[in-house]
Amino acid sequence: MFFRLYLYSIRQTTRQKLIMFWSLIFPVILGTLFRIAFGEFINEEVVFHQIPVAYVAEESASQIFAEMLKFLEEDNKLVKVIETDEANAQKLLKEEKVEGIYYNKASEIGDGGNISLTVTKDEMSQSILSSVLEQYQRVFHTMQNIGRKNPAGIKEAVQVMEQEYQYLKEGAISDTPQNAMTDYFYALIAMNCLMGVSMGMQIAVGFKANLSDLAARRVVSGTGQFGMMMPDLLAKITIQFLCTVFAVCYLMFALKIPLGDKFGFVLLTTLVGSIVGIFMGFFIGAVGTYRESLKEGICICSMMLSSFLAGLMVGNMYRFLENHVPIVNRINPASLIVKALYSLNIYEGYERYTQCMISLIVLAAVLGAGAFAMIRRERYASI
Amino acid sequence: MQVFKVFCKVMLKHKTQFLMYIVIYMIISIAVSRSVQESKVMEFSKVSLKVAVDNRDQGELGGGLVSYLKEYNEIKKVPKNQEAVKDAMYYQEIDYVLLIPEDFTEKIREGTGEEILEGTVVPGSSTAYLIENEIKQYLDTASMYLRAGMDSVSAVELTKEDMQQEADVNYLEKSDGESLPVGFHFFRYLPYVFMVVMILGLGAVMKTFRDKDLSARNKCSAMSFFNQNVQIILGCIFFTLVVYTLFMVMALCLTGDYFFSIKGLLSAVNALVFSICAASLAWLCVQFVRSMEELNAMSNVFSLSFSFLGGVFVSLDLMSDGVRQAAKFIPSYWYVIANNEIQKVESFAEAGSVYQSYLVVLLFALAFFAVGLLANRMKLRTAQ
Repeated sequence: MFFRLYLYSIRQTTRQKLIMFWSLIFPVILGTLFRIAFGEFINEEVVFHQIPVAYVAEESASQIFAEMLKFLEEDNKLVKVIETDEANAQKLLKEEKVEGIYYNKASEIGDGGNISLTVTKDEMSQSILSSVLEQYQRVFHTMQNIGRKNPAGIKEAVQVMEQEYQYLKEGAISDTPQNAMTDYFYALIAMNCLMGVSMGMQIAVGFKANLSDLAARRVVSGTGQFGMMMPDLLAKITIQFLCTVFAVCYLMFALKIPLGDKFGFVLLTTLVGSIVGIFMGFFIGAVGTYRESLKEGICICSMMLSSFLAGLMVGNMYRFLENHVPIVNRINPASLIVKALYSLNIYEGYERYTQCMISLIVLAAVLGAGAFAMIRRERYASI
Repeated sequence: MQVFKVFCKVMLKHKTQFLMYIVIYMIISIAVSRSVQESKVMEFSKVSLKVAVDNRDQGELGGGLVSYLKEYNEIKKVPKNQEAVKDAMYYQEIDYVLLIPEDFTEKIREGTGEEILEGTVVPGSSTAYLIENEIKQYLDTASMYLRAGMDSVSAVELTKEDMQQEADVNYLEKSDGESLPVGFHFFRYLPYVFMVVMILGLGAVMKTFRDKDLSARNKCSAMSFFNQNVQIILGCIFFTLVVYTLFMVMALCLTGDYFFSIKGLLSAVNALVFSICAASLAWLCVQFVRSMEELNAMSNVFSLSFSFLGGVFVSLDLMSDGVRQAAKFIPSYWYVIANNEIQKVESFAEAGSVYQSYLVVLLFALAFFAVGLLANRMKLRTAQ
């Protein structure tokens, strides 16, 4: 009987197109949108183009800065300099043909020039231009100091500038490339696991005689409720798990999101996550005798809230909560799933991962036991 | 006006659902536009990180570096063992760990300072790399002094002075440097809200009229088919205007003066044009759905994908050229473009490109409407 009920439940669920849409298609769509929107960040291959900048110099102004710009244009391909007069430069800037204007005014002190930058926006290109100028001024200042105090050492100092030292040794705690964008995809997987709430709620509704005819029939049948419930639960967990696995595979292999190489453990996480999702819905469905539509609403809200707190919509949410209300991160299922995937990728040992997984399993057990306690031995005098 | 009355009655029946959506999106759009503003302000001030430093250097340079970092960051002690470091990073107690070895000053002076420091970033942090840049700049300057033969005390002192040099950056016009007004952020997220509310709201009512039995009964009534449709269209316009007015009142309360400026007016027209487009998108959607749940799914798919691809949620600057080209086939892209352009406009005569965007969005509205009409016709024909 068990196997037959299991099979029927699987068939029945897969035929519900909407459930399949939310569990299977929606995460794929959202994942694709994330990939398109953050695409440039994930591969860290920022499309780089030379920044067009106008250069306006007074006749007697120092030439050192112009030389440096020339070097940056020809060797580093960082900027594209257009030398012009003031009126034209302003026109170019207004038409957005250049990102900024470097003014080089003659100065009496005979230093590196009195250089300023004029921009119209405060974006990436502008901050690069500004840091070019800042570095130039710092180095010039340094050279001036050395020239004044210890002229003999100037050659050595120039060598330092040319050698491009790397002082820092990366003391990483993991080899997996990791950036802030990956967190969005972890949160997406967590949301996908929790999508099972709707299915879980349906199980409970199938045993609430005031909510469905099926339940009314089941209540009067001779078979124990537990025997009918188990195959249903298992079937829905199976389907939810397979949907999530599909989405994870899509993210990893089609979209090439770096989710680490411990594929087996990622699947284990999604399995436990799916169980928590189903049990969460099961629990919500079992509480009280409210209408089905209300329960559905509560299910969707709690799933979205949980995902929101795990950083699906706003990144860095975890960090914010950890600093203010850390307890949320310990009991919110989506945060636990996100953190489990994160620790799997970052840390070599499995202690933190196991910690998260145990919390998830305990959560599932509490929800499942609570739901079952509410449904068992429920009898109706009249419906 | 019987049909119109029925239209309104059906609408009122669904009122809790619309209200729930409108209130939720009101809260979200207010919260998001507020938080965007806050993070904008944050960008200008230097980021402060929690840096754990273990300074074993016996020379002066290590101390100099630490006191330089201290100006903007919070300096902490490094936890005793490796596991404790990992734990502290896991719970976000520290963002960066820096180890300075004993012979630091000496090595830098000799020019053998390659990879002498050990720095560990919390994996996944987007801001921690900034500190590496700071360290590099500081050490570049300091080693120039040391290699030039200066003693470490004056090298540290002079480096500190040099690091205070800042670039002289001006804005072309006074208004350029000001952060964007609240109005910009408020209007930015409107397309998402409009699409969801229109597809769900108009969709729900129109679906009722498309019910097979109901529409069959309506067709054989005394009222002409044309008359019925005109009233339904009037109902749609009425609903669109109600939603639009609601959000404009909210804009008025939130943005104040901005709303009555030229920019505010242009933004309001932009929103009106887009609400028409969203309404016609709703008309298109309703041709393909059979139930409220399907409508719900469709509203999510359309509004999310149009918002993500059109640059409503993620700034267009971050997208690759290919994606941007593709985004031109989405109405919300033109809405966002218009919203950006409006911030630069000072008078109605300057706003040429804004009017152009309006026109494109209206053409999209027309296209959605036409496709919806076509689908409707084809369905009727197959039904016959």
